Amino acid sequence: MKICGVDIGSLETKVVLLDDNNIIDYRVGRSTYDFKRVGNNLFNDLLEHHNLKKSDVYIMSTGYGRNTIDIADDRITEITAHARGAQFFFPDVNSVIDIGGQDSKAIVISKKTGNVIDFQMNDKCAAGTGRFIEVMSGALEVPIQDIGDLALKSNNPASISSTCTVFAESEVISLFAKGTKKEDIAAGIHKSIARRVAGMAKRIGVAPLLVFCGGVAKNIAVKEFLEQELGFEIVIPVDNGKSIAQLTGAIGAALIAQDQNNG
Amino acid sequence: MDNLELLSEYSLFLREKKEEGKKVVAFISHDNIPEELLDAAGFVPLRLMFAGNDELMDASHDYLSPSTCAFAQSCIGLFSIKPSHYRFLDIIDYFIISNHCVSDICASEIISKYFNIPRLNFYISYTKNDNSGKYFKLELLDFKDQLEKISGIKIKNEDLKESIRNYNNFKKKIFEFSNLNIIGSEKLRVLQRAMLYGPPFLPELESHIQMFKENQVQKTDNLKGILITGGSIFLNDFLIDLIEEAGGNVIFFDTWVGYSYYSQIFEDNIIDSIENPLDLLVNRFKNNIYDDHSVPNFLENKISQIELVYQEYFKKTGRKLGIINHIIKFCDHISLMSSHLKNRLQQKGISVLNLERDYSKANRGQLSTRIEAFLEMM
Ligand code: SF4
Repeated sequence: MKICGVDIGSLETKVVLLDDNNIIDYRVGRSTYDFKRVGNNLFNDLLEHHNLKKSDVYIMSTGYGRNTIDIADDRITEITAHARGAQFFFPDVNSVIDIGGQDSKAIVISKKTGNVIDFQMNDKCAAGTGRFIEVMSGALEVPIQDIGDLALKSNNPASISSTCTVFAESEVISLFAKGTKKEDIAAGIHKSIARRVAGMAKRIGVAPLLVFCGGVAKNIAVKEFLEQELGFEIVIPVDNGKSIAQLTGAIGAALIAQDQNNG
Repeated sequence: MDNLELLSEYSLFLREKKEEGKKVVAFISHDNIPEELLDAAGFVPLRLMFAGNDELMDASHDYLSPSTCAFAQSCIGLFSIKPSHYRFLDIIDYFIISNHCVSDICASEIISKYFNIPRLNFYISYTKNDNSGKYFKLELLDFKDQLEKISGIKIKNEDLKESIRNYNNFKKKIFEFSNLNIIGSEKLRVLQRAMLYGPPFLPELESHIQMFKENQVQKTDNLKGILITGGSIFLNDFLIDLIEEAGGNVIFFDTWVGYSYYSQIFEDNIIDSIENPLDLLVNRFKNNIYDDHSVPNFLENKISQIELVYQEYFKKTGRKLGIINHIIKFCDHISLMSSHLKNRLQQKGISVLNLERDYSKANRGQLSTRIEAFLEMM
C-alpha cells in the first residue's frame, strides 16, 4: 500500500506520496481559509496523476489543520512528524528547527531511540515565524522570495530591537525614512527572527546535527543568521540538489504511517 | 451537568444563604485564606475560581495592564462585565484583599474599590519560617477581629474548632474521592464543585464516592497518565478537555484546586487537644510546604512531591507519568521556577511540558498541538 503524508500548515499545504521509503511525488498549495478543500484537491490531483484510488493509499495528516481533513486515516502532530522527517534525511540528527508560516518550533531528538525528547513552540505572536518576514517584506516593498538574497548583500545589518511584529514594522519604516539601506534593514529583520528562534531553541539544548525545515528554510538568509546565532552549521533536507525542507513534515507523517503499518 | 447549570445552581445556593441572613465574603482562590474563621463567624466563603476568556481579559484592561496574570485579569473582567451566569457576584458583602502574589493584591484592590465591595484585609508572608509564623498569627488575630466587628459575633474557640473539624472531615472525604480510579475531567468537576461549596457539599460528595465505587465504569487504562502542576484548572476551563481529547488522563492535580487544598488536614486528636485553634491554622500555614509560598524550599519540596507520585504511578501501572506544568500567562510565581523545575525533573528521567497560556480561544489550536506532541513524546 502507498502512503500519503498531508501537512496542512497555516499558509501552505503539502502532500507527499511515498512508497517504501521513496518519495514518488508531491504537491504544494496555498492553504487558504478552506484547509479541507485544498488538502482534498492536492491529494486527488496526486491520485489522478498516478492512477490510484483513495483505497490504495493510507493517509496520515499533520500540521496546524491536521484535524480538519476527513480523508485522513490517522493524524500526528507536526512536532513528531518533523522529527521523523528530519531523521529520514539525516539519520544522525540531534535537533530540528521548523519555522512555518505562523509558528516556529525547536525539537530535540534522542540519538538512542530516535524519539522526540523535548520541544518548544513559540507562542501565538508572529515574531519568529514566516508571517514576520511576510509583514516586513511588505513594509520594505521587496517580494518575499527576494528578501533573503537582499539581506545577504548587507555589510552592516541594522539593529531591530522590537520582537513584536507590530513594533518591528514601525521600526523598519522609521529606519527606511532615515535612509538606512534596504539590504541593511533586510539583514536586521533576518537577524531579529534568527535571534528569537535561536533563543527559544537554546532553551531546550539544541545541538548539531541540526536540521532546519519548514517553509522559511527556503530563505537562505534565515539559515545563515541562525548559524551565526547558534554558533554551528545547520543542514537543510534536499532531494536531487533541490531544497525540500518544506516537505519534511509531510514526509515524516507518511513515514510514521509506514512504520505503524509495518508493525 | 455542565458549568452553566452549576453556576445557576450555585447562585441559588448563595441566595438561599442570604435569605437565611448570612453574609457572603469573596476572595481570589488561593491557599492560606482561613475559610474556617469565616465559617465560624457565620459568613459564606465565595472562592473566585472561575477561568477566563477573551472578553473577560479584555474588559480588565480598563483597570490593569495586560501584563497582569490572565487569571487575575479574568477575575476583574467578571466584575466588570458580570455575565448573566455570574449575577451572584452582586450579592457579595465583603471582599478579602490578600497578597498571595502581586496580581492577587492588585486585582483584589481593584475589585473592592471600583465595584464598591467593602474590604477585609488578610496578608501573608512570602517565606516560611518562625517569624512568618508569628506574623501569620497576628494576621489571623486581626482577621478574626475584623470578622467579629462586622458580624457582631464573638468567635469562640469551640466554634472555630467545630469549623476546623467540619472542613477537616470534608477534606478527608475529598482525599478519599481523589484516590478513585476515574477519568480526570470527572474528578476535576467534583473537586471544583467541592471547593466552591465547601462542607455543605459533603453529602453530595459522599454519594459521588458511593456511586463511583459501585460503578467504576470509566476505563482509563488506554490513556496516558498526567500530573498537572503549577496553575490550577479553574471552572469553565477547556484545558482538561484538550488533554483528554489528546489521549491523556490527569490522575493527580498537584495544584491549589487539588492536592494543595485537600491535603491540608489535621489529626482529629490534635483538634481536640489544642488550646488555641488559631495555632492549628498557623501550623497548617507552616506545614504547607508544597506551594509557591514555601520559600526557601519550594522547588525542592515540589520536586520530591512530584517524584513520589511518579514512582507510585510507575509501580502501580508500569507506565511513565507525564508532568504538565500549567503556567497561566504572567503568573510570575509559576513561570519564574518553570525552567528549573523542568530541568530538574528531566534529569530524573521525568518528561515535563511547560504549558504557558492565557485564556484566549485563539490559543486553543496551539495548546492542543503542544499537549498532543507531549503525549506522543511520552
Ligand atoms: S495565577 Fe499566579 S499570578 Fe495569578 S493570581 Fe494566581 S498566583 Fe497570582
